[in-house]
Amino acid sequence: MIVDDSKVSRTILANHLAKTNFEVVAMAKDAAEALKLYQEYNPEIVTMDMNLPDADGIECSRRIHALDSGVKIVMISAMKDVNLIAKGREVGIGAFLQKPVGTNTIIETLMMLSQEKVSRVAVLRESYAKVFANALGHGLLNMVALKVEPTVELFDKKFLEVDGVAVIIGLTGNPAGRAVAYMSMDTMHKFGQTMLGTDEITEDEYNDAVEEAANIIIGRGVSNVNDVFKDKELRITPPGTICGNGIKIASPKMTTFKITAKTDLGDICVNVGFAEGD
Amino acid sequence: MDAKLVNPFIDAFITVMPQIGFPTPKRTKVFLSDKNAVSKGVVVMVGFTKQIRGNVVYNMREDTAKFIASTMMMGMPITEFDQMAQSAISELSNMLTANTATNLTNLELEVDISTPSLTVGEGFSLKISDGQYLTIEMDCGGHKIDIAIAVDRNL
Repeated sequence: MIVDDSKVSRTILANHLAKTNFEVVAMAKDAAEALKLYQEYNPEIVTMDMNLPDADGIECSRRIHALDSGVKIVMISAMKDVNLIAKGREVGIGAFLQKPVGTNTIIETLMMLSQEKVSRVAVLRESYAKVFANALGHGLLNMVALKVEPTVELFDKKFLEVDGVAVIIGLTGNPAGRAVAYMSMDTMHKFGQTMLGTDEITEDEYNDAVEEAANIIIGRGVSNVNDVFKDKELRITPPGTICGNGIKIASPKMTTFKITAKTDLGDICVNVGFAEGD
Repeated sequence: MDAKLVNPFIDAFITVMPQIGFPTPKRTKVFLSDKNAVSKGVVVMVGFTKQIRGNVVYNMREDTAKFIASTMMMGMPITEFDQMAQSAISELSNMLTANTATNLTNLELEVDISTPSLTVGEGFSLKISDGQYLTIEMDCGGHKIDIAIAVDRNL
């Protein structure tokens, strides 16, 4: 998305970008429009002018950054000084270019910014999400004798939708986040019966069984992460258990992964998310 | 539950809300419960670790959440509880809980807080504690927010 009050500047930049693999999804002439369009298009990268009619580029970046701390902003302005750079860094501006900018400089900068995002996701997937996937596999084997290889995928939907039971466990440390273990009511019943070896179980006891299992699985995931990264000090909060239909759990400002174990009892999933930004 | 741990939550609410456009937040009710809480529409849960363990839950109606989000964003009209509004409410929960954490630190308790989990949907049940927990109903500008507190010292 291009944010610039001058139509000439927007056109020049759009023309530069037309020669690259980057696609311009939106153009905004002021901060209000930038905020609106950012919501609508959720662009990967924003180019920001310093002078806007309703707010300066720093303020506009601050507002976008408040919505999405993972946003990549490159400031392209006529001025570029140390003070501006320091202020800009605080509000999530990742790079500063001075007008006029050549096509090559723009491509390099945008590539660098977009890769930063890719690599963070890769790190979270390999070092964290997969560890939780292993913990889920181990937990299911030990608790209900199910042998499964859980899969991991990046979760990019706005809501995690649950019909059934969801156990939410917060993660503190670096990075902070939260894990949600969830399954359908039907799966919960089968899981509880298998885990406890009886079907004389009350609804509350089914909930407790799932809650306890989630606590064990997430706890194991966290201690495995801590074994590898001695300095992360991940800890888990006590679980909160939600039960019902049409539950929607949002993950604003988080990078989340869906871990799925397809079992004979039904799908048993863990959605693990980590706060974006530092 | 230790009563001393409750004031940091109330103080945080009374400190933070005026900063985002609600000048006179008030405590309207306090009650103990041992049953599951029921969602009023928007529920945000934040967990505590280290010397305090437990959860705090901010439970409010969706129109309250929209009203607060709109006020936080300088009166920007919010018709739907969309991503921007969710972000605002998440951020508010984070500010309230971080402020609570600072207040707890003043009681010489070291705490760490998790990322907020925001859940949308009315009427689902929410279990945050095996035992009793305290709920404080706060009023800001005629809108009510329940703060359910289930925390204990981690011995």
